Amino acid sequence: MSARRPREEAAVSCTRRAFVTAVGLGGAGLLAARRQAWAALTGSAPPPRPLLLHNNENPVGPDPAVLEAVRSALGSGGRAGRYCFEDVGPLHQAIAERFGVTPENVVTGCGSTQILRAAVQVFTSPARPLVAGQMTYEECASYADLIGTPLRAVALDRALQLDLEAMAAAAKGAGMVFLNNPNNPTGTVLSGDAVGAFIERVHSVAPECVVLIDEAYHDYVTDPSHRTQAPRAVKDPRVVVARTFSKAHGMAGLRVGYALGHPDTVKALAWEGRNALNIAGLVAATASIGDQAHLDREKARNTEARRFTIDWFARARFKSADSQTNFVFVDVGRPAKEFRDACKEQGVLVARDFPPLERSHVRISVGTLEEMKRAVAVFANVLGVRAKAA
Amino acid sequence: MRVSRRSLLSAIMPAATGASSAFAAARGREASVAGGDPASAPTAPALRLDSNENPLGPGPAATDALTRELAEAGRYPTNARPSTADLRTVIARRASVAPENVALGAGSGEILRIAVRLYTSSSRHLVTAAPSYEQPEKMAAQLGVGVRRVPVDRDGRLDLDKMAQAARWAGLVFLCNPNNPTSTVHPAAAVAEFVARVGRESPDTAILIDEAYHDYVAHPAYATAVPLALLRPNVVVSRTLSKAYGLAGMRVGYAVGQPQAVEAFNRWAMKYNTNTLAVAAALASLEDPAHIEAERGRNAHARAFTTRVFTNLGCRVMDAQTNFVFVETGCPAAEFREACARRGVLVGREFPPLDKTHARVSIGTIEEMQQASAVFGEVLGSARSGAAGASRLSGGRR
Repeated sequence: MSARRPREEAAVSCTRRAFVTAVGLGGAGLLAARRQAWAALTGSAPPPRPLLLHNNENPVGPDPAVLEAVRSALGSGGRAGRYCFEDVGPLHQAIAERFGVTPENVVTGCGSTQILRAAVQVFTSPARPLVAGQMTYEECASYADLIGTPLRAVALDRALQLDLEAMAAAAKGAGMVFLNNPNNPTGTVLSGDAVGAFIERVHSVAPECVVLIDEAYHDYVTDPSHRTQAPRAVKDPRVVVARTFSKAHGMAGLRVGYALGHPDTVKALAWEGRNALNIAGLVAATASIGDQAHLDREKARNTEARRFTIDWFARARFKSADSQTNFVFVDVGRPAKEFRDACKEQGVLVARDFPPLERSHVRISVGTLEEMKRAVAVFANVLGVRAKAA
Repeated sequence: MRVSRRSLLSAIMPAATGASSAFAAARGREASVAGGDPASAPTAPALRLDSNENPLGPGPAATDALTRELAEAGRYPTNARPSTADLRTVIARRASVAPENVALGAGSGEILRIAVRLYTSSSRHLVTAAPSYEQPEKMAAQLGVGVRRVPVDRDGRLDLDKMAQAARWAGLVFLCNPNNPTSTVHPAAAVAEFVARVGRESPDTAILIDEAYHDYVAHPAYATAVPLALLRPNVVVSRTLSKAYGLAGMRVGYAVGQPQAVEAFNRWAMKYNTNTLAVAAALASLEDPAHIEAERGRNAHARAFTTRVFTNLGCRVMDAQTNFVFVETGCPAAEFREACARRGVLVGREFPPLDKTHARVSIGTIEEMQQASAVFGEVLGSARSGAAGASRLSGGRR
């Protein structure tokens, strides 16, 4: 134990100073300038920045070409002062081209948050419940609670997969089924065939019920059995596919999500209009949507860092679910809060509680490989793992 | 007078109306503003005097922030530096309130929609003015909530007496001060009296005071209602950075109220409703009050010029305390708008019940208003009076 102490100390203090030192000499000037700006705005020096492994962000951010597009759109005399309703059309066009569909199949929102909420708003009611996995992305269930839509929560199966059979059974009389594929926070994916069969089952037991498939993490999936349901959604008025620019596109801060569906469904989902869309997000999304090379690079980068993280936990004898995303869901054998607080102490933020597994499992976002090397040193410390495991 | 002006209008317009591409663009934009169908991009650059935007956009500090803070685009706004928490803190500081008194929105539009959701129901109606900003009544219509529209008075001022009467048993009163589209403002004392009266006569009725144009008001008796919002649990003030701050495209608005009201807004707000660049630009703007002061002066100057142009054309202009004027052109807004659009100037949409006689014209830069005045002169003046309509009044035009 004492033998690995110095190494851990080094890792920890490095983490704590990440904000000012981690990006090396090249970024030092930029960071110093930003630090100064921050201090000017808030009247204080920024605290050192922890490793942000709690919100499934893309640690690299958007492609430089995307940032350049935003910079040129918003520079002096730019478009920030004008309402951007007219900039929505070009994004819809670009998304439609990317998928080989028409703009009438596309709706955009302030992150996929707005899309998910809109779907709950228009497809459910106090008389038409929402069906969702008991451990899945919470947005739909939270909004259902706000508007008085009952939730039918369906427990995951033993393999931490969404229980499709039970969810299809629960769909009878429901307004909408929310299917997060891959699923957050477990990271697991359902095969394209399984999802296709599930849609058929829901249609037969509940012809009016809409299936919303949230494919936020689609671009990170490496399992070849996965398939997007977008081609089906544009033809089937009872299927909607939601996507986001917040993950592989690296634009969590710019707030753009979208959905693909049948024109009638899309029209219904647009119930709040375009008021919440911002010009930076629209410009960035339009520049990013067709850049498959960027997505391929980001997927390869994430896959490597994810592999490293999962392997580290496996060697340390902690089991994680088969992640197809930019996060891992690990059975650390102790309450998530305990693990989270201890990691935070040492400069690493990991995710919130996910009941009913908050007594044993934690969700850890995948940062860069370098960040994960620093993070596992902290995890080793917190979990009491021998140094050689890392 | 109106008949003759109307016939002048039709004389200078072609027989087939409504089909020109400039008009289609203008109409499309307005439809989009109202949350309608997709808009097509305009075919030629037009003067945009239709959406009450700041023609210069954000100030230099904010523009700087917009291009400097790009490295944070991959982070959620709660994690980014600066963060949404930083923005709440600085907004609070500038408004002399606590961060717990501030809720952020994706523009004030989100705040207005949340207010309707929070305070109205199928049995508790919305009270608004006619005309006023439409967002709340549109939301009410979408939710099946009843709406009582109280006509403004002859000078375009909100009829506070009739609105107070209509407030009995209401869920929410929407009080836009200054009022869009009529541009007029009520003094602080009148607003305070209204709030007190509604509080007495209908204590469960909430009041949302929309101060979107706050920074443009010159009226000496006007003051913000923020102190009222701090005193009363069901009074909320909304503000936006889309107007004087020049950030319409970035979507930042906020609500100020007691912590419990603010909590309710935050509960209903979209998670991450404010983007990282908007946060950075908003912070930079809020720390640059001199720029807003300069913008207020610039707008006042162009507004006075525009008011003179229309007055000289024989049109009554309401007492504008905003970055737009509301003009009694005497002809239908749609006709005036189309005639202007054909000449490259986009003006505001229709505002029933004054859509047959009044037009809303946003204030651009002084150069833009000079350019636009020639078009207004041509459209409203005699067909022969040509470019400099403002100085060419015929005796019959009064």
